[in-house]
Amino acid sequence: MITTLLKLSWVFLKIGTFTFGGGFVIIPMVENEVVNHYAWLTKTEFLDAVTLGQITPGPIIISATFIGYKACGILGAIVATASVILPSYIMICLATEAIEKFRENKILANFLRGARVAVIGMVFDAGVGIGRNSLVDVKTILIAAASIICLFKYKVNPIWVLLGAGIVGLVCKG
Amino acid sequence: MEKEKLKEQAERLYLQGLHAFAGSANPADTESMKRATALWQQAWELYLKAGDKDRAKELKKSLAVLYKKEYLKSHKNKEEQGGIVEKFKDWFIFFKIGCFGFGGPMAVFTLLENELVHEKHILTHRDFLEGAVLGDTLPGPVTMDIVTYTGYKLNKWRGALTSTLAFILPSFVIMLILAMYYDKYSVTPKIADVLKCLGAAVTGLILSVALNLTKSEMKGYRELCILIWAFASSIIFKLDIVVIVGLCGLVGIVIYRDEPKNP
Repeated sequence: MITTLLKLSWVFLKIGTFTFGGGFVIIPMVENEVVNHYAWLTKTEFLDAVTLGQITPGPIIISATFIGYKACGILGAIVATASVILPSYIMICLATEAIEKFRENKILANFLRGARVAVIGMVFDAGVGIGRNSLVDVKTILIAAASIICLFKYKVNPIWVLLGAGIVGLVCKG
Repeated sequence: MEKEKLKEQAERLYLQGLHAFAGSANPADTESMKRATALWQQAWELYLKAGDKDRAKELKKSLAVLYKKEYLKSHKNKEEQGGIVEKFKDWFIFFKIGCFGFGGPMAVFTLLENELVHEKHILTHRDFLEGAVLGDTLPGPVTMDIVTYTGYKLNKWRGALTSTLAFILPSFVIMLILAMYYDKYSVTPKIADVLKCLGAAVTGLILSVALNLTKSEMKGYRELCILIWAFASSIIFKLDIVVIVGLCGLVGIVIYRDEPKNP
């Protein structure tokens, strides 16, 4: 059991450290490790884990909790989740500290200035990407339009918008 | 003559201290308490120098009270008021967003932006975009990067720990329950309809935040060019996000190099 926990921790530390980009980019690497190499899950179980990762709130990498649970029970779930978060926690804290320190540096400031604008482009891109997948019929288009109006014009708290959309989804099926 | 001057000065200090003390109506406001104590301490020394023993004695009594109060307050702060309540508030923000963080990093990013920039006014648009820059360019899950970054901005390492844990807790618990359920029945729950509608709302959410950010960051044609280029290279050429953000940063170094100070 201890060895399984150590292996789990090692695998997810690796995944947390060496994967760039969010969401699905990480999935193939995880699959390679936990299905092909360690065989903690079968292929179907892994796909279900990813599906569950999508339907729970939070990042898709929360599938680590599922994988950890399958491999080693509740303790495994805790170890896997903590390991996958830890590297980015440390890196982000150090990087933020560094940015604060070197904010006066002109090259860094200009780099950030350019990169900030690029991020807005990425936000647009994310919106279009998600929209392409989820705006499939009149109902969903209406919901999207209504939420843009609520949020941009009337500044409603987005959590209410999400809650409302979820309720609409529950009530009118199909 | 000399003594009169000293007395006058002491009186002024005493009044300033009184003012600071009266200003500290908020029980958590230890700063003004400290200022009042420091001012009265100076006033007391001056009174002694001026030889006004009675006045000094009176002031010393008030000082003793203040010291006691301040001591009590700083103690209380640590234990109940400023401590747990404040921490619980931060904790709750991230917990709430952890419950509704559907739709990937950008959705979480937009939720956090709304909560901390528009509602609470703790951070600025610029802080947020820099968090996203970090999240996109450093390895690890982007959502977690952004959450940790905001926590760090609020309260250094401890804030980052609070935000990360509070954010991950709801999804961890839900996932754990689902995993146990799955273990028993090996089916995944069918909530596709709910997810479809959530996806639509998230689309609206992300687009509206993108519009807001555009409004606040667009200062000229150069920003517009970078934005269009970043958007195009992502959606048409499918470049990697790290490459896009990195390149735009380099472009920033070049085009802003002649400006004296960044806004």
